Amino acid sequence: MGQMTGQMRDKVKEIFSNPLLLYSCLYFSLSLSFGSSLPPVAVLLVALLCLDPHGRVGSAPICTHGPSGCHVPSLADLFDRVIQHSARMHSLSNDLHSEFEQYFLPSKNHIGKIYRKCHTSNILTPNGKENAQKLAREELTEVILKLLMAWRDPLFQLHQSMAHQQDFNSFSSNKALEMGDMAHELRKGVEKVAEKMRVLGMLGNSVTGLSAAEAMLPISDSGEAMSDYELLYCFRRDSNKVQNYLKILKCRIVPEHDC
Amino acid sequence: MAEAMAYSLSLSLLYLGLLCGNGLVSARGSELFTPDPSRGPHFTGCRSREQETFRCWWSTGTFQNLTEPGALRVFYQTKNALEWRECPDYTRTVENECYFNKTFTHIWTSYCIQLRSVPQNITYDDTCFTVENIVHPDPPIGLNWTLLNVSRSGLHFDVLVRWAPPPSADVQMGWMSLVYQVQYRVKNASHWEMLDLESGTQQSLYGLHTDKECEVRVRCKMLAFDNFGEFSDSIFVHVAQIPSKESTFPTTLVLIFGVIGVVILLVLLIFSQQQRLMVIFLPPIPAPKIKGIDPELLKNGKLDQLNSLLSSQDMYKPDFYHEDPWVEFIQLDLDDPAEKNESSDTQHLLGLSRSGSSHVLNFKSDDDSGRASCYDPELPNPEDLASLLPAHSGRGENHPLVSSSSPSIPDLGIQQTSEVEETPIQTQPAVHSWGNMDFYAQVSDFTPAGGVVLSPGQLNSSPEKKKEEENEKKIQLQLLSDGAYTSENTARQLDVPPSPGPEQGYHAFPTQAVEGNLWNGEYLVSAGDSQTPYLLPEAPPAPTLPPVSDYTVVQEVDAQHSLLLNPPSSQPALCPHTPNKHLPAMPTMPMGYLTPDLLGNLNP
Repeated sequence: MGQMTGQMRDKVKEIFSNPLLLYSCLYFSLSLSFGSSLPPVAVLLVALLCLDPHGRVGSAPICTHGPSGCHVPSLADLFDRVIQHSARMHSLSNDLHSEFEQYFLPSKNHIGKIYRKCHTSNILTPNGKENAQKLAREELTEVILKLLMAWRDPLFQLHQSMAHQQDFNSFSSNKALEMGDMAHELRKGVEKVAEKMRVLGMLGNSVTGLSAAEAMLPISDSGEAMSDYELLYCFRRDSNKVQNYLKILKCRIVPEHDC
Repeated sequence: MAEAMAYSLSLSLLYLGLLCGNGLVSARGSELFTPDPSRGPHFTGCRSREQETFRCWWSTGTFQNLTEPGALRVFYQTKNALEWRECPDYTRTVENECYFNKTFTHIWTSYCIQLRSVPQNITYDDTCFTVENIVHPDPPIGLNWTLLNVSRSGLHFDVLVRWAPPPSADVQMGWMSLVYQVQYRVKNASHWEMLDLESGTQQSLYGLHTDKECEVRVRCKMLAFDNFGEFSDSIFVHVAQIPSKESTFPTTLVLIFGVIGVVILLVLLIFSQQQRLMVIFLPPIPAPKIKGIDPELLKNGKLDQLNSLLSSQDMYKPDFYHEDPWVEFIQLDLDDPAEKNESSDTQHLLGLSRSGSSHVLNFKSDDDSGRASCYDPELPNPEDLASLLPAHSGRGENHPLVSSSSPSIPDLGIQQTSEVEETPIQTQPAVHSWGNMDFYAQVSDFTPAGGVVLSPGQLNSSPEKKKEEENEKKIQLQLLSDGAYTSENTARQLDVPPSPGPEQGYHAFPTQAVEGNLWNGEYLVSAGDSQTPYLLPEAPPAPTLPPVSDYTVVQEVDAQHSLLLNPPSSQPALCPHTPNKHLPAMPTMPMGYLTPDLLGNLNP
């Protein structure tokens, strides 16, 4: 039962992750509810669009029935899915940040404000491509997981605060919600990738207890809670980090092209 | 009130945000390469091409005394190391450029740089950024196009444009995920057509016009970032229009020849079928046609045939009344004999016909006792009446136009009477005596001049009027000769003895004079005493005079084909010249016309 609700919840999340899909489903459902002249073909189409998880990333459970009659995705496929998901998450965060910058003036004092201390600044992250390439796979995977874990609660808080404020339209708050869900799913996906890598023997056993990673509270330097803008600024940066790290990791683990 | 203030505040914030958005974007890293000459030394921009190194540029501005190298220095600061460091590499080749290599480039790290003049310790400009926000990728390379297809009309075509990512960007690993934007325009046009962002390295262009050169260029930017790189070099797409004139040329020729052929056929058709076409388009007007009558007969036929034809038609039924107007007047008024004595029709007719008037007035028949209804008694014009009336000075009441039996026109009669008494007609003095005469008079004598002398019929003429009557006879004869009842031929041949007297009545014509003019003397008069007139409109003769009948019956026809009204035995003196050749006695004629069978008996 819990699994069913979880699957349904995942499907709903899929629908909401794509705004176009969301609105098309809303339109068709409204038409059906009003008994408009929709032919049965349209109904089928609606069902296919809204319920078909084809092309979705990450939320579909990886074969619970076992190897019989089930396509087991390879590591490369997993990495592709995860990378796609992280790219999508990053673009969402970029959009939200741009909206914030249009409506809210950051202070002119660049130096003071540019050195915002994100709560994830404590996590040591490679600052460049070579640095990331030099880092071990396990550490890189760990960094990714740490980052994603660190943003689980702050994103939820962000959504809450955006939903309550009247300055944001519902579209932005939905974006924030979607972003939080995506971060959550991405983390799950990366955990599965790590599991897979460990199974395949690519990762050592130094990755320990990531599921029990501490949840950090987003506290600024002054001890106050970070504002929405600061959260968005920080998350935008971190999502870009995650995306690039995953790409570097994939290039190192899955030998293709000329990484 | 508070809500309104909050609303206005938010609007103002929005406005300011929109205004400063550009500035923020620039703070995020979009460069401004155009130095501002009005300002002092300032940074003109910082850029990273591949997200691994970056450069910064500045200008001295209006301060010209700081152009020597080393006067201005760049210091930077990162969030990690808060001390100010100087620019690691002042580019030698490029003026006023500071280059940060891979070692000094930290992604996801905030940088702040300052432009200082060290001797004066003045900071002219400072700016902060993060590297990923100042990334402007290099333009793509290898832009080329291939023709996909050409439309059927040959006016449009589709091309596929391909390019390669910039070599500096590490896209294989995915360090930079680029999206591209293709722009195209017709050559020398002012507006560029922009297509959507493309993550791949190819793009199709649809609906380009042939014979028009199309300029295509492409640029790229990092996914989820806003800074586009420079445009690539433009390529020109041109597809020549396939000349298809030779396909249209025969078509026009065929069309022209076809039209000419059709025109020729039509002309031939018209000329060959001219008559039929004339009948169809200009039908002949039907001539008038009467049923049963041949138009040719009407043109050339004889009178008898025409009469027979026309009589057979209903519309040509003879109008008896018009054909024979005399019939109307032969109406016996047997009710009033006394009335007839006063005036007779002959008097009327003679009086009227003397003046040559064709008026036939019948004033006696005013009462509608059996008269013809078709004839309307014409009311006389008073002037005509006056002209027609003979002067009856001597007669008072015996006026031809005055009839005591006509009460309907008493006024007129009285009027006429007065007129007559007042204005005697300027005619021959013997005219007035004619009013008492009958219309038909007996030819009594022939004058040597060829005139016919008539003797008055049953007249109540007094003896004192004998002289007048003789004159009257002459006049009557002249009158009758003018009339149509005796031909001149007949009149010459007549050798009428002198008038025996008025009491003798009428004399018969010498039969020898009657040749072929049987009916000329239509109304032959006879002096037969015993004969009674058969169509006498007037009363029977007066008892005083020996009965003189106006009409008589043909009794015999002698050998010379002359009609004998009275047998020679009864009046031998009248016809001395005629040989008394007795023809077979004819049966007693009935009172009527000579019928054709009887006529047959006359012929020997």
